[in-house]
Amino acid sequence: MRRYTARTLVGEITMLVVCGVFLIPIYFLVVSSFKTQPEILRSPLGLPESIDFANYGEALEGINFFHHLWISVYITTISVVLIVVFGSMAAYTIARKTNRLTKFLRNYFLIGFMVPIQTTMLPLFIIMGDLNLLNTKKGLIFLHSAGAVFALFLYTGFIRAMPRDLEEAAAVDGAGQFRIFWKIVFPLLKPVTATVSIFNFVWVWNDFILGFLFLGTTDNATLTMQVYNGMGQFENDWSIMIPMLIITALPIVIFFLVMQKRIIGGLIAGSLKG
Amino acid sequence: MVILPLIQTFRYSFTNYDGLSPEYDFVGLENYRKTLNSEQLIEPFIRTLGFSLVVPLLVTVMAIPLALVLNGRFKTRNFQRASFFFPAVLSALFLGYSWTFILSSSKYGMINALLEKFGFGRQLLLADSDLAMWLIVLVVVWSQVGWHACLYLANLQTIDPALLEAADIDGASAFQRFRFITLPHLTPAMTVSVALLIIGSLKVFDLPIAMTEGGPGRSTIMMTQSIIIQGLSSSRVGLASAMSFLFFLVIAVITFTQVTLMSRQGDEN
Repeated sequence: MRRYTARTLVGEITMLVVCGVFLIPIYFLVVSSFKTQPEILRSPLGLPESIDFANYGEALEGINFFHHLWISVYITTISVVLIVVFGSMAAYTIARKTNRLTKFLRNYFLIGFMVPIQTTMLPLFIIMGDLNLLNTKKGLIFLHSAGAVFALFLYTGFIRAMPRDLEEAAAVDGAGQFRIFWKIVFPLLKPVTATVSIFNFVWVWNDFILGFLFLGTTDNATLTMQVYNGMGQFENDWSIMIPMLIITALPIVIFFLVMQKRIIGGLIAGSLKG
Repeated sequence: MVILPLIQTFRYSFTNYDGLSPEYDFVGLENYRKTLNSEQLIEPFIRTLGFSLVVPLLVTVMAIPLALVLNGRFKTRNFQRASFFFPAVLSALFLGYSWTFILSSSKYGMINALLEKFGFGRQLLLADSDLAMWLIVLVVVWSQVGWHACLYLANLQTIDPALLEAADIDGASAFQRFRFITLPHLTPAMTVSVALLIIGSLKVFDLPIAMTEGGPGRSTIMMTQSIIIQGLSSSRVGLASAMSFLFFLVIAVITFTQVTLMSRQGDEN
């Protein structure tokens, strides 16, 4: 390892400045949320003259924040649980049993992974209508749980690399398939489960297109969709729009700040295996 | 849930189905001919393809040097990684709307407010139909570059430092070390990253919706929005299905190439 020299220090300071410039859009948004429009004109990048949360209160009420926060939490949590449960169980079978059926299933899922929602959305729209799942939370959860296919590929790779000894020992002791999986295999999959959950959490939480198509702009809208609805509602009233944007982003920002190490670490570790 | 709708899309693409009436006629290749011949329909297609070429190129060219820097020995490197990664966890909708405040053509937009303050004239920015698409590219690159740099970072960490040191002692220049040692180590990440970028760019929807809603005029309508306009808003399900299927073919070719490239790489290692 080379020493930390004066040149490194200069490089470090340069990079911090670059980081600062990189994050200016976020900074502008936050300071503007406390400013009046004339104040934005006077000093676009300066700190606000006073901090007043009145607009935030109005924005919270305007988009019925807590109601839709609950919907987002509900849809995201159930979807992620389903993705983990189905993805890991399917991966276990596909990784441990190699016969024609599992090979076929693997390729079948691979095709499913490739086909973009854009290609299937029109028939899906009609199917969902026939099943009475349009504009329902369970309908959207049903669609999101298809994300299990991505989880399946991550899990399969990981399970293949695991030794079978423990499972064989448990089988000799008379444990059934189901018990072996949940008591022995699943706990060992913890690192993959963490990566899968975190990434799917972010994807489902931020999803717009599925919600837009299959939930509509109804009472069931997720928080991400409320951004879209709110933008229509407060058209051109920046003093409400900017605080609204910020509060809708807060949950995921907090999630990122708390899970930061895991998120970036998970991406780095996950891509090494993939 | 995927295969059945795919077959249905294929079937609808030869009909004049409108999504409602149970009766519809078989029209052969008419929908495909219409898509390829109508300027209004083919434009979003070509625009999306161009977008999917430019975005991966720019992101890759910027993400690799960024990864090299973030892999350095800076004390604040975790903070730097987090800063560049940060936009990736926000929804595209949020990013799009946030940038409309910065790039707004009104005098309150950040860029215009700054321009006016320093005595320059106001610019149209997002309201300029020639510029709008490039501004969308800018925002995508901004939001993706950190995430992809982290992908490269993973590969960088597999390089044995002794290898670089040996090359240094042997008199290899910094560029030579990068070209002959670092770059080959980055190919696995590059295949993944470029494929994700191309497919993500082809599917792009939220961000242009938030930034321009396809405008000004029709200058930023992308493939997905175009399919939704035709299929759901104008009830031309048959036509939209043909568009979707063409779109699927493009993605299938790219994915297939990608899988082949990756398995060939796997054989080499």
